[in-house]
Amino acid sequence: MGFFEGLDAEKYDRKYQDRDLVKRILHYFKPERGKIILVSVMTILISLASATSVMIISKAVDWLKNDPKLSGIILVSSLAFGIGFFNWVANWIGRRTMVQATANVVMKLASDGFQAAENHDLSFYDEYSSGRIVSRITTDTQDFGQLISVITDVASQLLEVVILGVVLVGIEWRLSLMVFVIMPVVFVIGILFRQLARKATQQGMRAMANVNSTIKETISGISVAKNFRQEKSIYDAFNEANTRSYQVNWRRGVVLGLIFPLLNALAGVATAVMVYVGGLSVTSAIVTAGSWYLFLLSLDRFLFPVMNISAFWSSIQNGLSASERVFALIDAEPAVVQTDNRPVVDLKGQIDFQNVCFYYKEDEGVLENLTLHIKPRENLAIVGHTGAGKSSVAKLIARFYEFQSGSILIDGKDIRTFDLAEYRKHLGFVSQTPFLFSDTVLENIRYTRQNATEAEITALAKQIGDGEWLETLPEGLHTEVGERGSRLSMGQRQLVSLMRVLVQHPEIFILDEATASIDPFTEWQIQQALNLILERSTSILIAHRLSTVKSADRIIVMEQGKVIEEGNHMGLLENGGHYAMLYNTYFRHQSLEYVEKAREMVESER
Amino acid sequence: MNDDKIIPSGTSMSITEFSLPQRFKTNRKSPLRWILSHAKRNWFILLSAVIGAFCNAALMSVSPMLIGRAYNLITAPNAKENTGALGTLALILGISQVIRGGMQLIRNLSFELIAQRTERNVRDELYISLLGKSMTFHSLQPVGDTMARATNDVRQVNFFFSPGLNMVIGSLNFLIMPVILAPTYHPSLIITPVVFIIMYFLALWEYMGKLKPITNRVRESFGKLNTRLAEALDGIETVKGASQEKSEVALFIKNATGYKNAVVEQGKTEARFLPLLLLSTALAIGLLQALLLYKNGIIDMGQVIGYYGLLLMLDFPTFTSLWAYSQIATGLAGARRLLELMNRENNLDQNLTGFNEPMKGEVEFKGVSFGYEDGDPILENISFKVKPGQTVAIVGQTGSSKTSLVKLINRTYDAITGEVLVDGVNVRDWNLETLRRNISIIEQDIFLFSRSIGENIAFGKPGATRDEIEAAAKAAQADEFILTFKDGYDTILGERGVTLSGGQRQRLALARAFLTDPRILILDDSTSAIDSATEDRIQRAIYTAAKGRTTFIITHRLSQIRWADLILVMRKGRLVAMGSHEELMKTSESYQRIFS
Repeated sequence: MGFFEGLDAEKYDRKYQDRDLVKRILHYFKPERGKIILVSVMTILISLASATSVMIISKAVDWLKNDPKLSGIILVSSLAFGIGFFNWVANWIGRRTMVQATANVVMKLASDGFQAAENHDLSFYDEYSSGRIVSRITTDTQDFGQLISVITDVASQLLEVVILGVVLVGIEWRLSLMVFVIMPVVFVIGILFRQLARKATQQGMRAMANVNSTIKETISGISVAKNFRQEKSIYDAFNEANTRSYQVNWRRGVVLGLIFPLLNALAGVATAVMVYVGGLSVTSAIVTAGSWYLFLLSLDRFLFPVMNISAFWSSIQNGLSASERVFALIDAEPAVVQTDNRPVVDLKGQIDFQNVCFYYKEDEGVLENLTLHIKPRENLAIVGHTGAGKSSVAKLIARFYEFQSGSILIDGKDIRTFDLAEYRKHLGFVSQTPFLFSDTVLENIRYTRQNATEAEITALAKQIGDGEWLETLPEGLHTEVGERGSRLSMGQRQLVSLMRVLVQHPEIFILDEATASIDPFTEWQIQQALNLILERSTSILIAHRLSTVKSADRIIVMEQGKVIEEGNHMGLLENGGHYAMLYNTYFRHQSLEYVEKAREMVESER
Repeated sequence: MNDDKIIPSGTSMSITEFSLPQRFKTNRKSPLRWILSHAKRNWFILLSAVIGAFCNAALMSVSPMLIGRAYNLITAPNAKENTGALGTLALILGISQVIRGGMQLIRNLSFELIAQRTERNVRDELYISLLGKSMTFHSLQPVGDTMARATNDVRQVNFFFSPGLNMVIGSLNFLIMPVILAPTYHPSLIITPVVFIIMYFLALWEYMGKLKPITNRVRESFGKLNTRLAEALDGIETVKGASQEKSEVALFIKNATGYKNAVVEQGKTEARFLPLLLLSTALAIGLLQALLLYKNGIIDMGQVIGYYGLLLMLDFPTFTSLWAYSQIATGLAGARRLLELMNRENNLDQNLTGFNEPMKGEVEFKGVSFGYEDGDPILENISFKVKPGQTVAIVGQTGSSKTSLVKLINRTYDAITGEVLVDGVNVRDWNLETLRRNISIIEQDIFLFSRSIGENIAFGKPGATRDEIEAAAKAAQADEFILTFKDGYDTILGERGVTLSGGQRQRLALARAFLTDPRILILDDSTSAIDSATEDRIQRAIYTAAKGRTTFIITHRLSQIRWADLILVMRKGRLVAMGSHEELMKTSESYQRIFS
């Protein structure tokens, strides 16, 4: 159906055939069909009852006019009350059932969406922002669920209009025509109004966003402003945006405020005409006075459903395209595919790359025929310029991405034949920007092994700098780390992510070393934690720190997806080849020698 | 409403760091009074709104009453002769309803105008108040929270008026019309609308009380669901690396179920909206009563129709007031949060008559302690002395309060006990403007405005010439990277422009400082150079900046520490070691460790 256009479209979006889409949607609604049938029945009953109620009142006027019997009066009043009560009960049942059905559908779809998202590999997340995926799982699924209420609401109003319409035509077709004539007018007004309102609202929101970003910027920069005493200048910028927003939003208010007075005036004129023309029909004995009253009562009931119908189609479109977006997320093809799911037993940690070729985009090769042998327990540091393919080696070992040719063997077995979840349990991975969940330090550390005890973790923590880092946390292991670990420093976050690996005790350890600046005391603790891990795992270190390259058993230098040099730190440095150049570019300033000479260097230049 | 006791201090605009000539005064004693004091500035618009609302309802009720009369005309025995009168009546009906539309428009637009004006004025008042707050306030107050108030809460105050108050006033007028007009038919007919109104408010009260905890639960459970969902996707590498996809899905389903249950419960409560039943009961009883009066010949059938029509007017308040009243409540809650922010203590003033001499740059701490209100002390008993022109390196782990220490110097914060002296004068006795003008702080997160690079450098000295700006950029080693941009110094930064790396931001901030030539420079340095050439440039820039002025550097760079005149080693808010590199290598074990 392809309704989505513009901003929210992603490359994995697809257009579903109408038939497939309907089939897919029905799949989600099917388990709720009992509830949906109940809601439909209630909806129909309410429409019938409401129409009947109007008819009874107007008929009563005729019945009781000349013969006001007590029994008749009581009958009419009880019927009015009975119908009111019945409507209330039916509405109650219908709505609560609908809420349940909607919630179940939304929940099922959201869970499917999330499960699919969790199973997509990292190439998917490189391409698509996780914020948008979140909104597909939360907002779009809810928009989809709204389809039920959108359809039943409009259906019930429409049904009532149809029933009344049939009754009116049965009484007198010319007067009915007068009622019907107003419908297209209101419909057109409704559509025009929606266009106008949408435009005004867009402008209003833009002006508002402008005010907000002005406030955000100036409040974030308030210390700078205060430092230089520039409050007046930022106030002026704010004032301009605020005044502009006021003008635009006032205009929006005028547009939105117009519609109901306009419709009411229109309805009033229609009523006046009906009073007169209908009145003449009564005096000419074409219709009864009660029927005349029915026509008047019906006028209002025709007006507002028509307004709603003009909004109906776009609501339906909204719900359908929301469903398409979620289905597209669920259906996106995974890139990483396992050929088998063999168990992983007694991993030693030997890794072999054989003629591996890998790229993210077809025309940009990252690894070209890479062949590499890593012995069990070996500590291998990979150095090279940005884009040399260092991280790719690590990510392929973690099986985050699919490579295009060659093979990767773990303990001599094809990496594609393992049970992936189990394989990754033997793999410790610390990324360049360690990610923490908003929970306690303790929970974050045992994320890799949920059954690790607190005592065990405390003992491990104590091995690092006598556990001094725990003392700097306000509540030790039970400190809340805040959203994405924001309450911890970068150094502390790295320590936590290294602790994770220590608790996990993996056979293979992959470290994409952070480049953030860390205070020298914490740096020393991180080094200690690292040493503990390196002792017992096969390690692949994408090194940015001098101490890390120095501690590696072997260093390989990569350039354009190839290994161009290998050896240990001292040997390579003496060689004076590529490594020596890289050292001069990336590591020289980390040496103590540089520290000693820094003053000399800057002073000599002046 | 119990708004009065929540706001601690009243109007306290007298002490502030920044002020504009006040154009009006508002009452900040309670949210309601505050909102009303804003509304009062537009009293004539408010008046027209109320008049519009009343006329709208009154003219609306003309319609059923005229229909009742028309009924009598057309059912009269001599109905054929009444066509002229019927025409006049229909004409009056039509005109009255067109005027009614006009009145409703006046009501809508008046409320809209007050709402928009109040939003503008409230935001303006808030903004000026924020500018006047001390840095203590701003550093304690998260930007996200301030933003939420400046956007959502200000919006809620707008909605308080339109549609909130608009609908409340509008529907109240609809409620009273049947009460006023029914007695014109027969005095006893007043009973049904009055009883309905009383029952209606009771039911509404009960309903809202029941709904409130449930909507809170809905919001909380959604927050929980959404936070973890976002984290599980942002941290997908961690999730996959730890092979925890299955447990994340289980957790998602658990959170989603919690949310679902809350939503379903809310729906069930909403479905049982009692006022709806009350309305149809009132209609039935009113009809019964009117027909009985008709049977006894007290009123005629036209009056029955008119009365029934008046009762039908009650449906508008029944449906709208539900959300109109909660809109009023949300508006008040928003106003309360805004007031809470504005009324918070400012605790620093501009000290216009304070010490105002050229600064030399000597800094001394004498037994200084500091902590935020109702928190543990952050700094305890700090004493040291720095001569003009010296460079001081401050080292320590995260949480050792290095940043708080330097912020006492320019009175971002004030010491609680002890004294901070600049040139031998307590900073509290300095003219705040002079003190801050002579002290430049370059923070860890360097903030740049979404303006051009040149304007950002010249921020502290608005009239600076291009030559001055370029000289400053050169001294800060920033010239080189600036010229790599196509537009050079005119390159726009920020969301719609170029983003800079941490090191580049830092050098722009240094350039800013060169231009204002402060006596004391405070540099919170957390950048790290990826390559040695960049590191060389940073070293030069900092060295040049430190020359000839007192400089405090919070740094992770061993070279900065190594060559400082004085090194302060901090640990958990205490000064644990101090001296030159040589001295500390002999005396401090932890210091030795970092140089091994």
